[in-house]
Amino acid sequence: MIEARGLTKVYGEKTAVDGVNFTVEAGRVTGFLGPNGAGKSTTMRMIMGLDRPTSGSVTVNGSPLTRHTAPLRDVGALLDAKAVHTSRSAYNHLLAMAATHSIPKKRVRDVIEMTGLAEVAKKKVGGFSLGMGQRLGIAAALLGDPQTVILDEPVNGLDPEGVVWVRNLVKYLASEGRTVFLSSHLMSEMAVTADHLIVIGRGRIIADAPIQEIITGKGQRSTRVRTDQPDRLMQLLAGTGVSVEVQERELLEVKGLDPRQIAAAALENHVMIYELTPLQASLEEAYMELTKDEVEYHSLITTGAVPVEAGGK
Amino acid sequence: MSSTTVESTPSPRDAGSRTRRTGSGTSAGPGPTFLRVLNSEFIKFRTLLSTLILLGSTVIVMVGFGALSAWGTGQFSQAATRDPQAAARLAAQGGDLAVGVPTSGIAFAQLILGSLGVLLMSSEFTTGMARSTFAAVPKRLPAFAAKLVVVVVTSFVVTAVSTLAAGFLATPILGNYGLNLDLASSQSVKMLIVNSIYVAAVAAIGLALGTLIRNSAGGIMSLVGLFFVAPIAFQLIPGDFFVEARKYLPGNTVAPLTALDHVPATLEAWQAGLVLGAWVVVPVLLAAFLLKRRDV
Repeated sequence: MIEARGLTKVYGEKTAVDGVNFTVEAGRVTGFLGPNGAGKSTTMRMIMGLDRPTSGSVTVNGSPLTRHTAPLRDVGALLDAKAVHTSRSAYNHLLAMAATHSIPKKRVRDVIEMTGLAEVAKKKVGGFSLGMGQRLGIAAALLGDPQTVILDEPVNGLDPEGVVWVRNLVKYLASEGRTVFLSSHLMSEMAVTADHLIVIGRGRIIADAPIQEIITGKGQRSTRVRTDQPDRLMQLLAGTGVSVEVQERELLEVKGLDPRQIAAAALENHVMIYELTPLQASLEEAYMELTKDEVEYHSLITTGAVPVEAGGK
Repeated sequence: MSSTTVESTPSPRDAGSRTRRTGSGTSAGPGPTFLRVLNSEFIKFRTLLSTLILLGSTVIVMVGFGALSAWGTGQFSQAATRDPQAAARLAAQGGDLAVGVPTSGIAFAQLILGSLGVLLMSSEFTTGMARSTFAAVPKRLPAFAAKLVVVVVTSFVVTAVSTLAAGFLATPILGNYGLNLDLASSQSVKMLIVNSIYVAAVAAIGLALGTLIRNSAGGIMSLVGLFFVAPIAFQLIPGDFFVEARKYLPGNTVAPLTALDHVPATLEAWQAGLVLGAWVVVPVLLAAFLLKRRDV
């Protein structure tokens, strides 16, 4: 279990993480979702004791990592696929890591096999592709058979087979009762991997809920309405908390009212409706909705209605 | 080393085959004791080609300069028998020239092994390896101490061994010119030990600089500045202060430490020992303190 309380990190003028509170529970995959620059990696580095919090604290199983007697056996992390000396072989890298905790060579060979690195294990890491680097990082994270696994953008640079492998791996690890904390800026990946989602934007937690709740709850539901009297219907529906967007000449998208209320208003005033479709926000839309004010680096939006993916490496 | 037989291809399943742990508390199993971290740092040290190249270069340079110096010293002493001026110079140097021959490459050994000390830590930061290292050893200081032990012991041993090798090569060359080099004499042993300690100290200073600066080029240039530029610069700047200060540069502590008798206007041997010690202890403590405090 990972617990952050008032966790804050300030770099000079910039507040990277701003007093966040969250708990990552054991036995499920917790996704850590946010645009680039939102504070995901900084938070993860603070969990690993690499960055010192400006204020607040973060603990793993009740104590900061610096107080753990066998850190690699408690927490394994992939923070950066490049956290390896480029001139050393993958095998020797893992061997040196293992030596700090007297982890046997057999385990080193096992994680190499497990991550599909057997053929390149004796080669210098400098020549690895991003995908192989990710696999080596995951191998290092699993080395100590840890109770808590932290993976920062693990599917970056992986081929489709690797993406599925990571997905199954993290689900399996969670099913064993481990704490799995996984960051990504790809909501589509989170939708199929995570059980629980913590959304961060500009250093603040925007949402912390089961993934289903985020899809159905936070993303505001809307209804598509086709009518031959759009202006009249808009007048009828107008009210606080209601927004109506004209999409085509006879097509409206209504937020803040459910389909039944729209139909009732139309019936009462003899306005004909010829389509009434409830729209469920996809996770992607929910994410955009949650982070639209929190994106650090705005992309230039060309067409008004098309959401632009926030960031992307 | 290579996996002999293919073990029943492990699946992700193996990741947690041993235990099923839930809830809080820290897990059982060996953690990073100093000896384990030392072992890890030694594995890291010997699995880099660059380390081996630097160590090999030290041996070659020390032995090469020992041989060259033996030849040059022989030529000089031969000239001294015919030239009264050269004889006077020889007498002024205390007579025994041969004893300094095996360590004549020390200026280069200190630069190479000092750079090795810098690289040992700076490369952790330039490659990102530091994140792996300090995630495994979050207390950080054991990893720093282990690196210190590895680089100090290796530098001492490599300097001592290459000094001996240079001595063995130089002895017959000097013999040709009628000069006697007794490697077992107390002065020879003293030269070997003091110079080896000195180079080990330079490597420790290098490691401290690498830790403080976290940049390979910056660390090595600071080392060059301290050991090569500062002594010359201090000599060029007029004024008594710099004449006095020059004595306290780390590179100027070896001569007083190995002198047969105290030479006027230099430090006493015990003073030189303290100065060299301070040059090691202060940067190392500062580096350790900041390594513990700063973000990785």
